Parts: sequence; C-alpha cells; structure tokens
Amino acid sequence: MAPSKSYRLARRTFLRGIGVTMALPWLESAPVWGDEPSGKAARDSQPPMRLAVLFAGNGFHRGEWWAKGQGKDMELGKVLQPLAEFRERMVFIRGLFNAEALKGNIHSSMTGNLLSGAPLASGGEIRSGTSFDQIIAQQYSQSTKVPSLVLGCERSNPGLHKNYSMLYSSHISWSSPTAPTPLELYPALAFDRLFKNTAERGDRSVLDAVQIEAAQFRRKISANDRLKLDEYLNSVREVEQRLERAGQQGELQGWRPTFDSSIVQRPADGIPQNLAEHMRLMCDILVLAFQTDATRVCTLKLNNDHSYLQFPHLGVEVGHHELSHRNDDDFLKVNQSFLEQLAYIARRLDAIKEGEGTALDHSVLMLSSSMLHGGHDAKNLPCVLVGGGGGQLSGGRILDYLEQPNRKMCSLYLSLMDKFGIHLPAFGDSQERLADV
Amino acid sequence: MLEIYCFKCHSSHETQADLDLEQFSTLTEVRTKVSAWIKVAEQIATDEMPPANEPQPTPDERQQLREWLERYLRTESLDQAGDPGPVALRRLNNAEYTWTIRDLTGIELDPAREFPADSAAGEGFTNAGNALSMSPALLGKYFDAGKEIARHVVLLPDGFRFSPSTTPRDWTEEVLAEIRDFYRQYVHTEELGIGTSVGVMNLHGNCGMGQLGHLPLEQYLTATIAERPALRSGERSIADVAAARRLNAKYLEILWLSLNANEPSILLDELRQKWRDATVDDVPNLAKSISSWQRGLWTFNSISHLGRKGSRSRWLEPESPIVSHHEMRLKFPPIDAKDTTVEPGLVEGDDFIVSFVTTDAGDGNTHDDVIWRKPRLVVENQPDVLIQSIDDLRGIEGNQFGIRVNGEAMDIASLSVKAPGVITVRLPRAVAAGKELVVTAEMDPETGRDGSVQVDLVAGIADPPPGLLPSVNTVTLSSVSALYPDQRTVSFQRPILLAHDSVHRTNWESAMESHRRLFPPSLCYPQVVPTDELLTLTQFYRDDEHLKRLVLDQHAARKIDRLWEELLFVSHEPIKLSDVLDSFVETLRGHSQKGAFDALLEPVERRAELFRQRLIDAEQPQLERLIEFAHRAYRRPLETTEAETLRSLYRQLRTEGLGHDEAFRLTLARIFCASPFLFRIENSTDGSEPMPVSDWELASRLSYFLWSSEPDSSLRQAAAEGRLHEPDVLAEQTVRMLKHPRIRRLATEFGCQWLHVHEFPLTETKSEQLYPEFAELRGDMYEESIAFLTHVFQQDRSLLDVFDSDYTFVNDRLANFYGFQKEIAPGAWERVEGIRAYGRGGVLGLAATLSKQSGASRTSPILRGNWVSEVLLGEKLPRPPKDVPQLSDSVPEGLTERQMIERHSSDVACAKCHRRIDPIGFALEAYDAIGRQRKQNPPGVPIDTQTVLPDGQPIDGLPGLRDYLMNQRRDAMIQQFCRKLLGYALGREVQLSDTPLLEDLQRQLANAEFRVSTAVKSIVLSPQFCQKRSGGQ
Repeated sequence: MAPSKSYRLARRTFLRGIGVTMALPWLESAPVWGDEPSGKAARDSQPPMRLAVLFAGNGFHRGEWWAKGQGKDMELGKVLQPLAEFRERMVFIRGLFNAEALKGNIHSSMTGNLLSGAPLASGGEIRSGTSFDQIIAQQYSQSTKVPSLVLGCERSNPGLHKNYSMLYSSHISWSSPTAPTPLELYPALAFDRLFKNTAERGDRSVLDAVQIEAAQFRRKISANDRLKLDEYLNSVREVEQRLERAGQQGELQGWRPTFDSSIVQRPADGIPQNLAEHMRLMCDILVLAFQTDATRVCTLKLNNDHSYLQFPHLGVEVGHHELSHRNDDDFLKVNQSFLEQLAYIARRLDAIKEGEGTALDHSVLMLSSSMLHGGHDAKNLPCVLVGGGGGQLSGGRILDYLEQPNRKMCSLYLSLMDKFGIHLPAFGDSQERLADV
Repeated sequence: MLEIYCFKCHSSHETQADLDLEQFSTLTEVRTKVSAWIKVAEQIATDEMPPANEPQPTPDERQQLREWLERYLRTESLDQAGDPGPVALRRLNNAEYTWTIRDLTGIELDPAREFPADSAAGEGFTNAGNALSMSPALLGKYFDAGKEIARHVVLLPDGFRFSPSTTPRDWTEEVLAEIRDFYRQYVHTEELGIGTSVGVMNLHGNCGMGQLGHLPLEQYLTATIAERPALRSGERSIADVAAARRLNAKYLEILWLSLNANEPSILLDELRQKWRDATVDDVPNLAKSISSWQRGLWTFNSISHLGRKGSRSRWLEPESPIVSHHEMRLKFPPIDAKDTTVEPGLVEGDDFIVSFVTTDAGDGNTHDDVIWRKPRLVVENQPDVLIQSIDDLRGIEGNQFGIRVNGEAMDIASLSVKAPGVITVRLPRAVAAGKELVVTAEMDPETGRDGSVQVDLVAGIADPPPGLLPSVNTVTLSSVSALYPDQRTVSFQRPILLAHDSVHRTNWESAMESHRRLFPPSLCYPQVVPTDELLTLTQFYRDDEHLKRLVLDQHAARKIDRLWEELLFVSHEPIKLSDVLDSFVETLRGHSQKGAFDALLEPVERRAELFRQRLIDAEQPQLERLIEFAHRAYRRPLETTEAETLRSLYRQLRTEGLGHDEAFRLTLARIFCASPFLFRIENSTDGSEPMPVSDWELASRLSYFLWSSEPDSSLRQAAAEGRLHEPDVLAEQTVRMLKHPRIRRLATEFGCQWLHVHEFPLTETKSEQLYPEFAELRGDMYEESIAFLTHVFQQDRSLLDVFDSDYTFVNDRLANFYGFQKEIAPGAWERVEGIRAYGRGGVLGLAATLSKQSGASRTSPILRGNWVSEVLLGEKLPRPPKDVPQLSDSVPEGLTERQMIERHSSDVACAKCHRRIDPIGFALEAYDAIGRQRKQNPPGVPIDTQTVLPDGQPIDGLPGLRDYLMNQRRDAMIQQFCRKLLGYALGREVQLSDTPLLEDLQRQLANAEFRVSTAVKSIVLSPQFCQKRSGGQ
C-alpha cells in the first residue's frame, strides 16, 4: 500500500480489489474549491476535517509519560519519543479527567465512558452516553459513505468484572447511550465497508420489507422492548441509506479528496497472526478512509482496557495487563509501539497533499487511555493531540490543567466539537470549553 | 444510627456513590428504592462502610443494623417473590444465532465467525438483552450472512433443502453420493472389469464397465439350509433369521418360497433337487451353478451411448440360450504346435480325438433324436473336407454316417444320435492339423420334433454328467470405434436345442425367466454415472428394477424414487442431456457416422422442454415451503399477512428482473435478517402486572435456555397444541431436553461462561518461551471442561460433582499432560476414573480454570483466590483501591511468587481483600501457569501449599481446599451455582425478589441428592421463567 509517486490523470479510477470499484476524486493539480466563487459551494470545497481517536488500554509507563518545553524544543518522555518529529504539531494535555470514571470500579467502569463522561450502569444494565466521536459522525453521516469507522485490534471480553460488564472495557464509541458501536477487528471487512460496491439488485426491497415488518411489531411490544427494536430499525435505515449512496458513485456531496495511489489491495481475509501487521493494516485503512473521504471519523482501539494482548513480535512474553502492573522496560517498549502507530498515521496523512496543506493539517488525531498508568489512576488521563485541525489547532504546546478548576475531559470534547462545527451548550459533565485548545 | 454514621457522606447534600439515605423518612419511602438498601446491606456485611477513618458503630449497633436490613429485605423479597423482572428484548447472541442457523439448515455453517464478539450483562452471560445491541455494521453483517446462507439452498421439485456447498455441481454430487450409498446399503458392489469378459462388452475394451451390485448369495443359501428345520417347523420366522444373520428379509423370503415351491420349472427344479439334499458344505457348489446360469441368461452392455443408432437399449439384458440349430467349431493346432498350447486329450499319437456330445437337458430322452449335420474340416481358400470323406478316418465310435436314429437313411455326410450319447471321432493329424472342424446340430425333423437336448463339441474323450448343464454365452462385437454401430453377436456353449416349432419352447422360456427373476446377476446399477466409453452421452443411468422387486420395501422404494427425482431435478439432467446431444451431433457432422444420434434429437428436446415447464411448476410449491420455513425461523405461526408479505416481496423481486432462483434466495435471506428471527420478540402490552408468556414464547425461552437454539419439533408440537405451559408437559420436556446431546450447549454457554473459561482457546495465550506446549493443549483443556460439564447435565449428576469428582474426560495428550497412567487412542476422548490420586477432580483441578486464572508466564494466587471467592462462592469482595502500588519488575532473587505477593499484600490498603483471597490461591500453587503439577518454583525451592484461610482454618493444597469448600462452604457454592443458573435462564441480573426461589432451589436440591435436573426444572417451572412483566423497574 505504498503511495505511488506518479499522479494519475484520469478523473476516475478503480480500486483493484475484489469487486471493488470506487469513484475517484480529483487531481491535486485541479483543486475544485479554487473554481468555486463563493457561498455554500465554496464552503463545501474546503478540505474536510477529520477526527481520529486512538485508544490504548491500561495506561502508560509511570515515569515516561511526560513532555516539557514548547515548539521544537519540546522534550518528550520515552513513551512519547515516537512523536518527536511531530512535536511542533502536537498538543500535550495534562490533568484532565472524567468524574464519572472515578465512581464504580477500576478498569471496566473507567473506560466505557471515556469519550462521553457519562455515568455507567452496573449490574444487569448496559448504559453509557453517546460519545463525542459519534456525535461528530452523525453530523457527517450524510456526506460520506459511512458515518464512522470503529476499529479494534483486540477481541472484546465477555463476562463481568466486579458487577460491570466487560463490554465497557472494550467499547469507547457509543452511538446511543445503550448502543456501543461494535468494533471491526477484520481489516478486510473494514475495507469492504468502505469500498465494496454494496448495492446489489433486490437489496433495497429486502431492507424495506424487514423495516416495515419491524415497524409493525413495534406496536405490539412493551416500551422497553421498543427501545431495543429501534436500534434495529435505525440500523436498517442506515444500511439502506448507505446502499443508496453507494449507488451514486462519485456523486458524494461536498469536498473531493485527492488520491495519489490508484492501486489498493484489499487486505487478506481473517485476522493477521502478527499483531504488528494487524495494527499496521488498521492504520492503513484509517488513512485510506480519510484520504478518499469515505468517512471523516475513525476510532481505533489498539487494545482493550484490561487487555491481555501479547507482544511476541517485540520479544515480550507477558500479557499487557500484567505488564502494566510491572511497569518495566517491556511495558515501555509496548507503549512506544502504540505511539508509533499514531506517528505512522500522522506521517501518512502528512504525505497526502490537500490544497495548500496536507491531510494532517485538516485532521485532529487524539490518543488517550482510561488511566495514566497501571495503578488505575484516572484522575489525570493521558491525552495527546496531533494535527492542524484545519488551522484551528496550533501545535508545539503543553496544556497543563492539573491544578486548574476546569479540567474535565468533556470540556476538551466540547472544544473539539466546536472545531467540527458542532456547538453544544453542554456535554457529559461539562458546560465549559477549554479555552486554550 | 444512619444519621450518625452515614449521612455525612450519603445525605441529600452530599450524595457520594449516588446514595442519599436522608431522603427516606418513612418505611413507605424506604420501600420506593430497595436497590439502595441492598447496597447498604452489602457494605455493612463486608465491613466496607463506614470507612476506617470515620467513626465506627459499636458491634451491637452494627448487629442491630444488620438484623434490621435483613428483616426488611426479607420482607421485600417475599412481597415481590416470583416477579419476572425487567427483561430487555433479546437479540440472538452469536452462539445462539449460529446454533439456530445450524439447527434450521441442518448444516455446519459458521456464519457469525466474523461478527463482533458478544458482551455480557445480567449475571455475566452473553444472553442478556442489555448487552446485545444492534448497529448498522452488525445489521450489514446479518444481511450478508443471510445471503450467504441462502446460497446453500438447493431447490427441489417440492421444496428446498440446505447443502454444505453452494454450487449445482456439488449439489448433484451430493445426491449422487446419497443414491450410491443407498444402493450400497443393500448390495455388494463388484467391478465388472474392462469390457472383455464373457457377457460383458463395450466397444473400446479399455474402459471399465463399472460396477455391478449383487447380494451375497452364499449367505442366503446358507441361511435357508442351516435354518431349514427351524423355518419349516415355524420355530423361527424369516424375519428372525434375516435379522439374526443380517440379511434382507424380503429377498430371503422370496428365495425360501421359491426353493420350496412345487410348480415345475426345469432350471429351478434342478436347483431345488440339489438344495433339498444339501448341507451348508454344498453351498459353494449351489452358488456356482446359479452363477453359471447367470452367465448364460444375461449380458451386460455399455450404456454411455444409449439411443445411438443400432445400440442396445439397456445395460443388463436377458439372453435366451434356446436354439433350433447350433453350429460348433473347433480349431486344430498346426502340426508343429507345442504340446503346451494344445488342449489336453486332443492329441493321441498321430490322431486328434474329438467328441460330439449330446445330453438330454435334464428332462429325459424321449424324442431326443439329434442330427449332427455335415461335420467337415474348413480352411481358408480351400474346399471344405467332409469328415465322412476322409479315407483314413480312424473310426467313429458308437455311430455311423447317413443313418437316423430310427434306422432310416439320411444325407450320407451327417451323423445322428439319441441323447445322452457321445460320438468320438479320431482324425489323422496329418489331414486335420491347422484346420477347423465345423458341425451343426439340430433335432431330427421328424422323430426329434418334441425333444430337447444340449449339444457340445469337446476336445478329447468326453464323459458328460447327466442332467441339465449351464449354457454359457459369449458376445462378440465387430465395431472398431465408439462412433460406429456395434455388430453384436451372442453365442452359447451347450445351448438348449429345440426344434424350431417345438411345443416345449414356452416351458423352457418360462423356466429361464424364473431363474432370471430370482437370480439376476446385478440388482441395480450402483455407480449411476456410466464410465464405459471415453465420451459419455448418458448422464445418469438407472436400473434398479430387480432391487425394488426383490429387496426394497415400499418405504425404501419411495425413497430411491425420490432421490432419483431429486437427482434429475437438481442436475437439470434433461436440459444437460439435450446440450450434450447437440454437441455429439455437431461433432459427427461431416463424419461417416453422421446421423447416428439424430433419432434422439426430438425426444430429448421434448423432454428438456417438459423439464423447463416442470421448473416453473415447482416455483409455487417451493415458495410455500419457504413460508413454512419462515414459521420455523420466527419460532411461532405466521400470521396470514406475514405470509402474504413474504410472497409479495418475492413478486416484487421478480418484477425487478430477478430470476426465480435469485428472488427465492433473497426472500430467504430476508427471513434471516428480519426482526422476528434476530430478536426473541415477546408480545406484550404495557402494564406492570406480570402475565404468562404464550406457549410459543415459552418454547423459545426453554430451548434458548437449554440448547441456545430454536425449539425442536417436539417442543413446537407441544406449543402448537397449547399444552406447553402445563407443568407436567413443561417438566417432561425439560427432562427430555436435558438428556439430548444439544445440552452440550448449556455446558458451553452457561457452564464455561460461569467458570470464565468460555472460548478459552481463543482468548487464552501463554508465553511461547515458557509454555511451548500450551498452544496445542488449550483446545483439549477447553474440550475437557465442556465434556465434563455436559456429562453433569446430560447424566443428571449431583451438582457436587462439579466441585468434587473423581472422574474427568481426557484425550491422549491431556492424559499425558496430567500424568494419568492410561492408554488412550489418538483422537479418542475417554472418561477416566480415580483422578483424585493425580491431584485432579472437579472444576478446581481443570487445567483450563487453573491456566485462565494465571498470568502469561507465572501463576497468580491472587487471580485464583479471587476466582474461588467470587465465581465459586459468590462472595462480594470490596473493590480494589484506585491507586494500587506497583508490583516489582520481576520476582526478586530468591523469593517465590508467593513471598512476593505476601509482601505486596501486607500493605494496609491492600490487606483487607488480599487476606481473604490470597490464601486460597496459595493452596493451588502446586499447579503452574498452565495447570500442570509442579513441586518446586523457582527451581530448588519447594512449593509451599500450606495456608491459613481467613476464618482461621489451616489447609494444605488442592485437597485441603476442596475438603474445606465441600464441608464448610457447600451451601455457598450451591447457592452461587443456582444464582448463576437462574441469571442465565432469565437473561437478567438476579434480584431481591428471586431470593425465595433460590432458597427453594437449595432445599429441593438437598432433598434430591443435588441432582442437577432438580434445579433446572424448578427454574423452568418458576413464575420468573413462565411470565413476563413489561413495565416498572
């Protein structure tokens, strides 16, 4: 999947995957937004903003998650070393937390609300809050092929942990308070979701039929059941819309991205044996999705909270959770390998020219965890942002909120949503923005 | 008291942990929020609250509060007892979806392989509605999976079935295999060889003629002889004998009746005669004489080109060895021929000796006068030499030329004889060498008209046995290529010679037909697909008339008819034949044999046309079966409008231009992604009063509880009859289902999730370096857990077995891993007894649980202790502190893992819990991180498994822990098991109002030797399980 150096002159090209055709976009040499005089069209022809949220469970090495100074003189702890080349385009944020994550249990009840700040239900119930990435995704759902991609590199855990469903440990994206967005673990299926020309003859009639049928049941069941059935109805509707949009090749509204690699292989079926390869493929798909504007929001869970992932390819023989408690050099090595994924994505996006800038300039990449380190400290969450946010985010800075009154994660999310044109009065437990972000 | 000790943090001003205890000022108010008080009771019970740094109640006060809470909660639980509780609408989880699809289709599909993993809620199981969300991505996967499943549909004349494969070619192969298996159930197959042997011919001689299928005749004959007295006396019936000897009763009866019958039939009379006197030792001879006649009465033909101009019409063809004159030939070797190539007895000194043999065909010799017409020596390009004209003919013994049997004169060159009679001729080798003796026999036109004989030309002196001898046929073909019509001639050795207008011909014909009907050499054409020519026109060949007549009962006959119908339908044979024929005709264009297949064109095309119509006619019944299938898939009867909705979708798809096949499949796919299939929808009206679920809903609840799948036919019937809710019926069904192999799914989904080993091989990894064998063993460890738990449920074992048993189930690898002194064949799983002696038994000793509660490279007494405490005993431990100190990087030199943990746990903040769980884990330290027994760790340091439990009880190792649990904590373990089973059955968290039921379960178990079925039945019969409540919390 290495980007090719030569730029194709065809307006449209085809992805050579299995049955994959993709309408393609515009040449770098013909910036469409330059032609448009004014108004909505001009606004639409701005390169779009993208959000990627990367998550690593179990926190990071106790002594090595830090940054000092600013701009190109910024010094980084060992965990953050892989981001050295981006220090002028990155914001290191210290001291934020989610009040709700401090209630309840360690691990499971600290993660399911990371991106929403919502209280988590324990016992038999599953309830969190709609996460900020999904709110942004819903905003863009009409403009791109899929509203968002939620990717993962570790299978989610079944079972309960101290009366909280382990589901909370593996799901940070929630499309509604009761609907965690499922993680796609299979690179090939994630790829298909973006690029497979899904509309087959008869599909829409089938979806219509099951939708009408479910709507009829809706009347016969209890109010509680109706909520669950609505998840189904909404899902059918969305799949239907996606098919509809797939039918309008090359007619996506708004901005058209450049695309300088005409041959993209569909990843092989199955989950790669090698974790490094798995992560790399997921990063590639994320980049490809942004590059082709198939989606603008992507959440990538490198591992679960309470993760048991193993790292034989790094010469590490101990599972992730155990490593986080040992806090040794092996843990550091694994931490760095996670940060390298962020650096890789940033590097790839930065190589994609979009008008005057690069795709990285029009993105916000965020990496976080539900605790600072293996000691379950959730009062000071690790958080780093990379990318220009469409000119709305200046890098090379350290924002330290540890001693400040407003240090809520949800305040950060309010600020970030502003950049995506979503101006909410309140989100989660916060009504304020972080002024510096 | 609450005001003094609690309100500081849990009041209306300060609501830590969302708990405001100040709001309750009257009992009525207290009762509005029971859940808060359950929390309080837990905190008081574990001494968690008030926190250590706050003022503490006196022991008396604590006791007082505890008692009040207990009384209060007890009253609450009784008040609400049996409440169905809030149960969220349940989507089928991945396991349920997969099992349902497998049970519905009957094939081993794995459609959920790439679905997102399920999550748990309720009591920690993946069947709780709350955790089973739906999303566009998942719906898309359901839709794709539905389409993929529909690709496995095979359309049949009257419906459809599912196949493991997705191509018409494979479907055809499946039916073919079924037909072949069907035939092989009844007949022994035998290769006919390539087309050169007697009675077996094809044009090439290098293509195998395929197989014939016959019965083991000797076994049948043996049965009729060995059991003759018992059968005759009526002591045993044919059916008894057939069953005892594994023979087909129908054929045995036909054979028995024929052998004992009286109606005259010269061939069978001969056999009956021999049979009556035979002992079992004579069976081979009897069988041989039967097979000799088979070689006279039948021929096999090639069938790849049936219908070609001049070809035979069938594979197995009857032949008649009745002739009115019979030409015989015998070639003499040249004068210098080596002795070895000469038939024994032919040469004597300077003479050739030849016998003209005439026998009476077993029916006496009245009128058996035969003329041997003009015996002569023949050689190419020379005039024939009459034997009578040879001067130095050395003599004819017993006859003279030119005289008929009655003494009258006839043509001088011929001989005449009355059967039985042998004319021996001595010919000088000098005259006859290299020539061929030719002679024709016929009945004397006057005195022999009513006779019947067998004639044979034999080298040397002959002494024929009396009676009828088998006539054996020989086939010759003169064609050179598959494309030419065959010139086929059949000749016989020792045919039956009759005058052409003999009055006995009919008798002889019917005698031969009796033999043919009783002893056909092949009962069917078991390979179905002809392989006897290089290019095959005939796609499938059916010849099983004999099988149907002699062997199959009505049921089996219907089955084979149905299979053939299916074969032709699935393979579209009539259309395919038409296509292949076209290509044959095309190939022959311009060839000298062009037109050889033309006569077939019209009938074959007409047949194809009829078949096309048949495909169209089948569409409607297929659609109707689809609607019946939806009824099963929806797990309840369809409403009329629902059936109509399916039909109208199908019609809609057809109008969109989809063919029947595509539209049918898509309509089926629609069922698989419909809400009534994917969700366990239960009708209800809003209201908080509990009401019973319908019988159909109850059937689903039961089958998803026990089998993780749809109700089977028996449950569906009980639901359809509206009787399932009757306690007797419900209990009976439950017991039946517990015994069914599908109960393995309860062991897997409930048992393994409860014990935290669910999908163990997928989720558990160990350090490759330290435990290289683990990767291979983990599947076995999982299987052991499932097999053990399945056994407990299926055999209705005591629940106590789960915790303490002296048996388990292992394969060879696992037996070796555990060090069992037991030989087990590779691949086999066996129950092994006496395993306590090896430190195993019950879930404590399972490699799976011991590994699961360990780290990747070392054991974890903390995890193991916690597992016993929480999973087995159901203890609620306080939550770990938010900021735990870090464990040292590695085990410090000289310290055991145990010592390291002991150090860590001595921290005050940690000790509270660790003193409760660590000692339990220490007792299990004799098992390493993959559950293997060990004596030392690290090397040189003996394992210390002695420990003191929190209640002061000293124990040692797994046996000590097990005895402690069984003797002192049994009730807690039983209660925890019941609680988990109830939570799994209901798909929700167990609530206060379930307490009376749980107490009842424990009582009943104690009265019933802890039989596990007791718990299952009580749960199924409980109001919680049989009712629903839609409103309220």
